[in-house]
Amino acid sequence: MRAPRLVVGALVLAAAFAARAAEPGFGLPHDASLDGHRVDELIHFTIWATGILFAVMVVWMLVAVFRHGPSHAPSPARGDDRRSAIGVLALAAVVFLVVDGNLFFHSVSDLDRHFWNYAVAEQSPGAVLIELNAHQWAWDLRYAGPDGQFNTADDVVSLNDMRVPVDAPVVLQITSTDVLHSLYLPNFRVKQDAVPGSVTRLWFQAKETGVFEMGCAQHCGPNHYKMRGVLTVLPRAEYDAWLASASADGRRGWDPDDASAHWGWAWRRTEP
Amino acid sequence: MSEPVHALSEPFELQPIHPPPKSFLRRWVFSTDHKVIARQFLWAGLLFLLLGGLLAMLIRWQWAYPGEKVPAVLGGFLFRESGGVIGPANYQTLFTSHGLIMIFFAITPILIGAFGNFLIPLQIGARDMAFPKLNMLSFWTFALSQVLVLLSFQARLGPAGAGWTTYPPLSTSVGTPGAGQSLMVAAIFVTGVATIMGSINYVTTVIRLRAPGMTYMRLPLAVWGLWLTAILNVLFVPVLGSAALLLFLDRNFGTQFFIAGAAAVRGGGDPILFQHLFWIFGHPEVYILILPAWGVVGDLVSFFARKPAFWYRGTVWSMVTVTVMSAIVYGHHMYMTGMNPLLGKGFMALTLLISVPAMVLFIDWLLTLWQGSIRTTVPMLFTLGVIFVFGLGGLTGLFLGDISLDLYLHDTMFVVGHFHLTMAAASFLASFAAIYFWFPKMFGKQLDQRLGKAHFWISVVGITLVFGGQLVAGYAGQQRRLYDPFQYQFLAHLRGLNRWTSYFAFTLAAGQLLFVWNWFATLFGKGRPAGENPWQVGTLEWTNAATPPAHHNYDVIPTVLHGPHEFADPAVRAALGRDWLGQAERAPGPREASR
Repeated sequence: MRAPRLVVGALVLAAAFAARAAEPGFGLPHDASLDGHRVDELIHFTIWATGILFAVMVVWMLVAVFRHGPSHAPSPARGDDRRSAIGVLALAAVVFLVVDGNLFFHSVSDLDRHFWNYAVAEQSPGAVLIELNAHQWAWDLRYAGPDGQFNTADDVVSLNDMRVPVDAPVVLQITSTDVLHSLYLPNFRVKQDAVPGSVTRLWFQAKETGVFEMGCAQHCGPNHYKMRGVLTVLPRAEYDAWLASASADGRRGWDPDDASAHWGWAWRRTEP
Repeated sequence: MSEPVHALSEPFELQPIHPPPKSFLRRWVFSTDHKVIARQFLWAGLLFLLLGGLLAMLIRWQWAYPGEKVPAVLGGFLFRESGGVIGPANYQTLFTSHGLIMIFFAITPILIGAFGNFLIPLQIGARDMAFPKLNMLSFWTFALSQVLVLLSFQARLGPAGAGWTTYPPLSTSVGTPGAGQSLMVAAIFVTGVATIMGSINYVTTVIRLRAPGMTYMRLPLAVWGLWLTAILNVLFVPVLGSAALLLFLDRNFGTQFFIAGAAAVRGGGDPILFQHLFWIFGHPEVYILILPAWGVVGDLVSFFARKPAFWYRGTVWSMVTVTVMSAIVYGHHMYMTGMNPLLGKGFMALTLLISVPAMVLFIDWLLTLWQGSIRTTVPMLFTLGVIFVFGLGGLTGLFLGDISLDLYLHDTMFVVGHFHLTMAAASFLASFAAIYFWFPKMFGKQLDQRLGKAHFWISVVGITLVFGGQLVAGYAGQQRRLYDPFQYQFLAHLRGLNRWTSYFAFTLAAGQLLFVWNWFATLFGKGRPAGENPWQVGTLEWTNAATPPAHHNYDVIPTVLHGPHEFADPAVRAALGRDWLGQAERAPGPREASR
């Protein structure tokens, strides 16, 4: 009995070191967003809380197996008295309030005030509005251009290339042409499904400039893995300059008869 | 509550003794004997477990060495057209078939088909199921569904590829044309029919055929788990069936229940409707697979700690509460679909709440172990393994029940690690706990215990490392179902992690050969005779039936006096010289009213 335990212990240790040696840094991706830290902090609290619970459970089992083995006289207790029942329920209730309760209240507050608070994001000055049409296997993006109206001649249209200004809310309205997709911005800790026939929403705000990735999180066919886009966060002036020149390009390429190119829709304003 | 007197005579009238059938066909093929049907399900499930495991290894190969030739004969044989390389279209069929085969065609037949059939009549003191012919029909309908799965691999455009969740529009002809996906959808429908037949039988049998004195609060916990599972199956598999049927119509008959977007004609339908139907079934399904496992764990911790299960009633009511709640938490699979925020928060509250009965179960098991006299037999090791991996899986579930964490974690490998630890690893280990524990009763021989221990250690360590590795990958942001995750620069540094996780998976798979060897060597070789009651426990199948049981199980239907966990009673030890008392055995000496 002793030898297998030692072998297994050695294997686990060896595996842990080998995996560690292979590549450094298995943590969360770099957080480039205004609100991403709310997700990170809640994840970290929950890792600690569940880690402690798991450790207690494992130690309990080990102590029971090693201390209360075949030579130990078993207790005939059935635990069916009122005191035991209250004890078990009280323990479960305390864990529930501390771990689950914390998760619930942080989540509701973060969603209401930040992640799902579209009205404030959309109406804040300098907000960038983007329409996104997902299809197998790419992201079509549409900016309204100087007139502020979508589906007009001055729209900026791009493929797999999202450019946004730093320190401004970016609000996306998302749909899909063919199958389900899911827009996933790992460095901004947000994600939203793209559903054919309906429009879903997502917003984020970059706190630093740089080049990041956008990906698809929902299986959408053989080339799901290739549905990668680039998200570039620019200083405001550079962004404005890009938007102006891209809008001029868009106007030159505008073909009023090409119905399939006019996939945009009138922006669906969020009521405050 | 004591059973009324008229119940004493009823089971006798309902269950006359029939002689065993003489012909080979009636005895071993189209048998109505629940014990033979159990073994048929066990064989069918174990074979598909091997198939599903092979598919998993191919997925792991792809994640370790994306786009590289699958080694040895395997690559040349399976992927001849692409020169031994798994292509993106092959790859999506691998993870789709793996998921569906493991859930519906491996774990379901083993835990529910085999052990539901074997244990329910024996443990409640019945001579067979309430509807033996329906039981036979259930198995052969299930066998037909397995044939449909195998046929889907022969389809010209390849097997199903829309993921195990089969979300439309991808699962309609918009995304996966060809007969493979249709055959798989048909297989799900047919296996659903088989499950409904089996479950009606289980539900009825437990209600009607309990031996005199076998009150609900004296049922072994395994029977409680199997019975609650059967109730969930009866209620929710029809919902899956309707979803599968509508999807089949969308694919083959031009309807558009679930199609929207460019392929929709005149408004089309709603892809999200399918998700509601799927998850109203799909979330209970998680508990369908785990409740029998919980039941087996609840009994086995008591059996091998040699003391009564701690707060039996609390365990039972926790399982009942989980069963009731299982259908009203399903929305947590759909937080990212654009669900109404209020609805999302409601589902979040309910999802977190379901952790309370689950915690009560855990606390009861841990307190059963405490102050016991623990025997680390092979079934007990697997039982402790279930508690370990389900603990890890259940706790990681808290992250995913939470909407704001799902903004980041949804559809990542964190989800894959979580649900494998709960519904795959825990039910897998519980299946083996049950196999090692009841193999002697099924076949009259003992599986080799040394091989069993080696099998356990490789399994539990392997499972922890493989699905732990997936949790870590998901925490680092890796999406699920990527053909080549390293196309993304933010995932490029996870190549080593994925490769090591694959090595652990290959080791885990190789370790299962120990079981395959043990199984065949014991079954067809010599094998140590089991003895009448090798584990020294008091449930009816061990105390009142032969090993293996006669065709009619019990010559005399036992009258039950106690619960299933009568251990460590000093009066019993003094009078009988052993630490257990049979469920139908009179307690020696003066004793307070039997439980």
